Formats: sequence, C-alpha cells, structure tokens
Amino acid sequence: MVKRSPLYSLQKKLGARFTEFAGFEMPIQYTSIKDEHLTVRRTVGLFDVSHMSNVWIAGKDAEKLLSLTTVEDASRIGDCKSQYTAILREDGTVIDDTIFMHLGDKYMIIPNAGMDEIVTKWLNEKAEEYNISATAENVSKDYVILAIQGPKSRDTLQKLTKIDLRTVGFFGCQYIDIAGINCIISHTGYTGELGFELQITPTKLAEGVFKKILEAGDEFKIKPIGLGARDTLRLEKSFILAGNEFKGGRTPLEATMSWTINWDHDFIGKDSLLKQKEKGDYERLTNLICIEKGIPRHNCEIKKDGKKVGVVTSGTLSPCLNVGIAMGYVHPDFREKESILEIIVRDRPIKAKVVKPPIVPKDWAQHN
Amino acid sequence: MGDEVRSNLKYTDTHEWLKLEDKIAKVGITDHAQSELTDIVFVELPEIGKEVKKGEELCVVESVKSVSEIYSPVSGKVANVNKKLEDAPETINESPYDEGWLVEIEIGDESEYKTLLDADAYKRMI
Repeated sequence: MVKRSPLYSLQKKLGARFTEFAGFEMPIQYTSIKDEHLTVRRTVGLFDVSHMSNVWIAGKDAEKLLSLTTVEDASRIGDCKSQYTAILREDGTVIDDTIFMHLGDKYMIIPNAGMDEIVTKWLNEKAEEYNISATAENVSKDYVILAIQGPKSRDTLQKLTKIDLRTVGFFGCQYIDIAGINCIISHTGYTGELGFELQITPTKLAEGVFKKILEAGDEFKIKPIGLGARDTLRLEKSFILAGNEFKGGRTPLEATMSWTINWDHDFIGKDSLLKQKEKGDYERLTNLICIEKGIPRHNCEIKKDGKKVGVVTSGTLSPCLNVGIAMGYVHPDFREKESILEIIVRDRPIKAKVVKPPIVPKDWAQHN
Repeated sequence: MGDEVRSNLKYTDTHEWLKLEDKIAKVGITDHAQSELTDIVFVELPEIGKEVKKGEELCVVESVKSVSEIYSPVSGKVANVNKKLEDAPETINESPYDEGWLVEIEIGDESEYKTLLDADAYKRMI
C-alpha cells in the first residue's frame, strides 16, 4: 500500500504531479524541475520531505547506543547540535546515512525513506546484544518534515518566529515556535544552500505551517518544490542518495565519507573499515562533469580507453551548468582530478572530466 | 498548454504525430506528450539515411529525470532531422507541432499511413 503525506491534498491543489518513491506517493514537481531547481538556488523553496523517517532514541545510554551504531562519537555532539553520520553493518557497508539531533536527553534520527523499520529494528537489536539501556522508537507516522531551502530561507522563516534564527547555527537544532506551532528546527538541508528543516507533530498542524511559509515567502517568490528538483539540487552538490550510492553494499570509505568517521571510538563495522583502509584498493565515489553532449544515468558504465573502470550511481542534466553530471564508483587509479573518462550512454561514449566535490560551487547563483 | 490536438495531423497511440506531404512524413511528439515529459533537455536524433520500421525506436528524448524512446509511426528512410533541437531541445516543449518537429521520413508503404489515428480518435485516447 502506497503511503501519502498528510499534505497530499494541499499539494494536489497546488498543481503537484506525483511519483512513487520508496513506498510514498510524493510530489515530483509542481511547475518544472529546472524552474524549481533555480528557484531554490536563487531565492527560496519549500519541500515536503515526510517520506523521510523519524526515530527517537531514548534511555540512559542513548548516547552510547548512537556511538556504537554510527561512525560518530555521539559524546562530541552537544545538546541542540545535529550531526550527519552513517549506520554500518559489521562488514563496514552502510545500512543508512542519517542525521541525528541531540535534543535534551533524547536523540532524533532521520533515516531515509522506507528505512524506518530496518533502522529501528537494528538499533534495538544492538542495544540488546551489547546490553545497552536505550531504545529506538519509530515515530515516522507522527511527523511531517518540511525543508525550507535557498538564500531567502532564513528571511522567510524569520517572519514566523520570535527567535532570532541567526542564533541557530549550522547544524544547530532546537524546539521553536513557527507560525504558532511548536516544532523542531534544524539548520540543515540537502540542497547546498542556506536552509532549515522542520519536524512537525501532530501531522494535522503541518498544513497550516506549510501555507504560512508560502505566504511569508511570497515577497521572495517562494515556490513549493518536488522531489525531482531535490534530486538535481543534491547531485550538483555531490550529496549522496542512499538508494543510489549505497546500493549493493558500499562502505563510507568507498562513498568518500571518511570525513564523517570518528576513528577514536569503537563502532560496529570499524574493524572492517580499518582493513579496507589498509588495503586501499577500493573504488571511490567520483564526481564527473560531461564535456560532450549527453546525460549520464544510473548504471551507465564508466570507461577509460575502452576499459571499464567504474559505474554511474547518479546522473542527470545539471540545471545550473546545463550539462550532464554524474557520481559513480571509479577504480582508484583513474579518478585523479581533471582526468578524462568516458561514460557509456546508450552504447555511445560521452567524455567526462573528474572534478572535486561539489560539482556546482557554493554561491553559484550569486555569480550567474 | 498541454492538450492541443491538430485536425490536419495523424497520430499514434504512443503520442507521435505525423504529417504526410509528397511521400515525406514529418514526425514529432504531441502537445500532450511534451507536457507529460516536461522540460526536454536532450534529443538524440537518428542518422540521415537510416532505414526505420514502424513501431521501432526512431529517436530518444530526455527530460531532467527521464529517458523516453520515440517510435517511428511508419516505415521508411530518414530523409532529414531537425538539427536545431541538438542545441535547443526545449523547442519541442515550446512548439511541438511546428518548430519542434523531430524527423522527416521518406515513406515506402503508404498503407501504414492509413492505420494511424485521426485527431478525433487521438483526442478520445488522451
């Protein structure tokens, strides 16, 4: 049975076209992906991302459970701070990447769409196995998640709250009244722009908040944004999409997430990662910009002089650069910056250049 | 925008249109199709001279998120392609029946033409 966001009928009225994603029927676009994409880069857009999950981790050893099951040492993350991290299997492959928010004596984690039950079960099993006094509770159904993203996101939200939003630092999180509704705000996002995310419960309050944000952003020409632009926005910034980039079992070293790993603590999967790191011969996620016409897509082969050296995990046309861009796993010998590789699109090789992330630089919209 | 059907054209159930003049069939995609595909950002056109069969892939049209095959409404030989689309694929969205045509096919068997949908039949379908 396909799930719908509590905002489904409002979105339909606003002209959304829908798509199924990880068991949810969500807006893919309202006007057009390009238009929505550029709206977020240049001003502000409002996303419903309720397909993402919400799991509370509570109990006296909540911090310990997080430290054991993620690559982060949770004791480093103080109250009202959030952190991007990954949950690993014993073999070092990623189960899911997630943000956790430290909110008083509890933590909320935001697993990906459709990962709520798997992650909750995993955490509770590990709590039992390691005799840790903490529990994970799947509350995904109780929350609507909104993302307000773009250079005018703060100005938009500021109109709806008395708290000075400049005091909410990057990756800060806290309870806040927005449009008279108490919710959790975090200075986070998936677009590479200034942005905030709101966790709203009970879900029936979300429609009012959604409308109030659209009203507040009217002077900045705010638009509701679908998942199509969410995907192109994240790919331009080289952000991982779990369903694409972790498919088939990839470690955070392969996914070039080693910056998230805190090696000074013990966590599930650490031994496997250390072994992989020592060997060093693993494929790594690599960013590519096409220098010939064509659009790379998921599963296209990557070649060097006709020999297969990797595979595309995410590809699209970049609405900002107006060329094909891609992320994919490439053999370590062939991914040096500026190297020219070929991406095979419908049997035709398209030349692409290896670039450092992000594919589209920060503040692109201010210069274009 | 989105559902214009022109009475002087023939149609397929896969949303191509065709206009026949002196054995040359001009082919494109319908207004309905361009509206469903949304922003068209890339077009892969066939080689001139290529033999195509009715119902086979003629070219590929891509939006930001999707790749769609366009099928040949008739059999014949590719006589001309709309080169302009390579640099301005959005022309298909802007003018699906005029500036945004895709391919001209020199047709062999005119009987195939008779099996295509007329405007009323296509209108009922969409």
